[in-house]
Amino acid sequence: MTGFDLHRAAAVARKEVMHILRDPFTLALVLGLPVVLVVFFGFAIDFDVKNLALGVYDRDNTRHSRQLVSVFESSGYFLPGAVDSPAAAARGLDSGRYSAALLVEPGFGRGLGGGGRARVQFIVDGTDNSKAQAVLGYLPGLTGAALRKFGAAVPADPVPLKTRFMYNPELNSRWFVIPGLAVIIIGLLSILMTALTVAREWENGSMELLLSTPLRPAEIIAGKIAPYVGLILAGVFFVNLVARFGFGVPFRGSHLLFLGGTVLFALASLSQGIVISVVTRQQQLAMQLSMISGLLPSLLLSGFIFPVESMPVFFRYFTMILSPRWFMEIARGVTIRGAGAADLALPLAALAALCALLLAAAFKKFKTDLEP
Amino acid sequence: MKRTLLAFIRKEFAQALRDPRMKLILFVMPMIQMTVFGLALSSEIKNIKLASVYAPSDAAARRLAQRFTASGWFLPVAAEGLAPEDLVVSGAADAALVFPAGGFARQAARGRGGVQLLVDGTSVTRARSVEAYARAIFAAHAAAEAGLPVSAAPFGFDVRIIYNPEMESPVFMVPGVMGMIVCLVTIILTSMSLTRERELGTFETIVSAPLENYEILLGKTLPYIVLGLANAALVIAAGFFIFGVPVRGDLWRLFSAALAFVITTVSVGTLISTVSKNQQQAMLGGFIFLFPAVLMSGIMYPVENMPALLKPVVYANPLYYFTTLLRNILLKGGDHAVFVFNMSALAAMAVAAGAAAYGRFRQTLN
Repeated sequence: MTGFDLHRAAAVARKEVMHILRDPFTLALVLGLPVVLVVFFGFAIDFDVKNLALGVYDRDNTRHSRQLVSVFESSGYFLPGAVDSPAAAARGLDSGRYSAALLVEPGFGRGLGGGGRARVQFIVDGTDNSKAQAVLGYLPGLTGAALRKFGAAVPADPVPLKTRFMYNPELNSRWFVIPGLAVIIIGLLSILMTALTVAREWENGSMELLLSTPLRPAEIIAGKIAPYVGLILAGVFFVNLVARFGFGVPFRGSHLLFLGGTVLFALASLSQGIVISVVTRQQQLAMQLSMISGLLPSLLLSGFIFPVESMPVFFRYFTMILSPRWFMEIARGVTIRGAGAADLALPLAALAALCALLLAAAFKKFKTDLEP
Repeated sequence: MKRTLLAFIRKEFAQALRDPRMKLILFVMPMIQMTVFGLALSSEIKNIKLASVYAPSDAAARRLAQRFTASGWFLPVAAEGLAPEDLVVSGAADAALVFPAGGFARQAARGRGGVQLLVDGTSVTRARSVEAYARAIFAAHAAAEAGLPVSAAPFGFDVRIIYNPEMESPVFMVPGVMGMIVCLVTIILTSMSLTRERELGTFETIVSAPLENYEILLGKTLPYIVLGLANAALVIAAGFFIFGVPVRGDLWRLFSAALAFVITTVSVGTLISTVSKNQQQAMLGGFIFLFPAVLMSGIMYPVENMPALLKPVVYANPLYYFTTLLRNILLKGGDHAVFVFNMSALAAMAVAAGAAAYGRFRQTLN
């Protein structure tokens, strides 16, 4: 009666597999959803900020001012459209019709031609973080292009700067987005799947049945988790197939290392679900807790899009309790950079620690429940 | 008949509020999430680990490298003893600035003082920012070395950022996070409610009460609409008082936007709970709605650039309209045309989702 019996755990696992197979709708969803979502958002997410509507008020209307507008137009970042007054430009910004406005006052061309200095007003809509910073980033390049177009003595770059982007020379967004997306989806689905399994048994009263058997808590937990690890590995396999052959995302590192990281991450997320399940004992509450602890934190704080390094110090430490933050580093590191186990020692160790912690919590809580 | 309905609604309300966990989900959790996301999130790239590789005697290179550190975007890391590529490969540096071997100033004078910037391209957004920062720093450095102020160039932009002149992150992020939280709360409260009652068998009791179909549905949704609105009011107040996010537009516009949005999401949640056969399916349904809604709200990346084929999904996302309205009303003071357009879209969705939920609900009853 003491210790851990593999056969008994396997029996629980078999029962869980039957549960999963009995609901083919859910099974298909769990296997198919990651692929569908990765394909969809692989196409949808693009960080390029281009074709921005630009309101242009050109009261100067000289050769130079027209040249300036054409610089904006040919950059590909902006779609200039003329407005008749600064007030119209302001209204366009208010309504979101324009993301930025360019105001050229009279005397601009004369100032340039006369060897003086000419300034134009450039107004940026500061409500949209995903655009404003990009627009500001374009301005230095546009200034240089405009100066060349005016034939002004450009303060030529005295030191040429040559940039080389390693691992992703074309800066293809998909290589960045798809591994990250896979991490988020796999993690969330894992939490959601196990969060309900134990709670369901409590709600249906079948938990009493399980408890009256000679099963130990560890055996029940292991049996509940094992089938889902299999499901998740299958899901990850399909996602990787689509990423590599559908989107051409490279896989440069060791498959074994990636597999190890995936298993750790799956175990951590599944255990998180079990902890929620054991604590709540009720499906609705379990779902609410999993969504709250899973959805927004993993989307916003894992480094998927918003960089962890840019967060204030306290939050950089705070993100360390999130398993997707660590697996994000591992997944991107192994696939894109071809990082080895030594490079990823910290994220791997952190993930293993989180995994052990969550498993222990699930086990302990479960055990106290059993022994009145 | 009307009295029965009122009593039923009152009963549902009492039942929803009796649960102490409800208060946690409605009031405590949103405050925590608002605070964490409002303080933590920023799309500006900072703290980039930069290794500068130059000979110890190269004073000109050191001056330029110091300018990178002084910019506040970069954190210097030691570059001794390793090839610049290896620094990036091992992850010790996000970028490496490699100066020419023969002395930066001497090579520059000969016109071949090319400096190489190696950037880790794994994070596309970071790589782009690193290059843009480096170009700006190079230009400023060249001007300073030549003894010219940057503004001496014959042409330049006077840039003015309106609505958020200091480019404060919370002002960018909080209106978006508000929408996400209201969406999350209303969906998780409603998407399992009817499925659960059916599974537990309490649904039959309600059906046998002397109430019309629409009255049952009203009683099951109205409390959540009211609670969802209270939740919206709470997060907006938190944005205003904690983060100083301005409320520049009319409150009635804000209220009607929140009302239309909450009706839509409560209806979607109810629809999910009537369609699902068991609670697990209801949960997956909630996930299938929430995940794309949050990702395509325009907060995480610009949705305007999406391929034309996928754009309809954005236009079917109620959170996209609500986020647009929140940003417009809170930060810009509310443009009437924007309000009318987005409100009509949200109202149409509220009606469509409500009708679909009612249709499905009647079917389950019979």
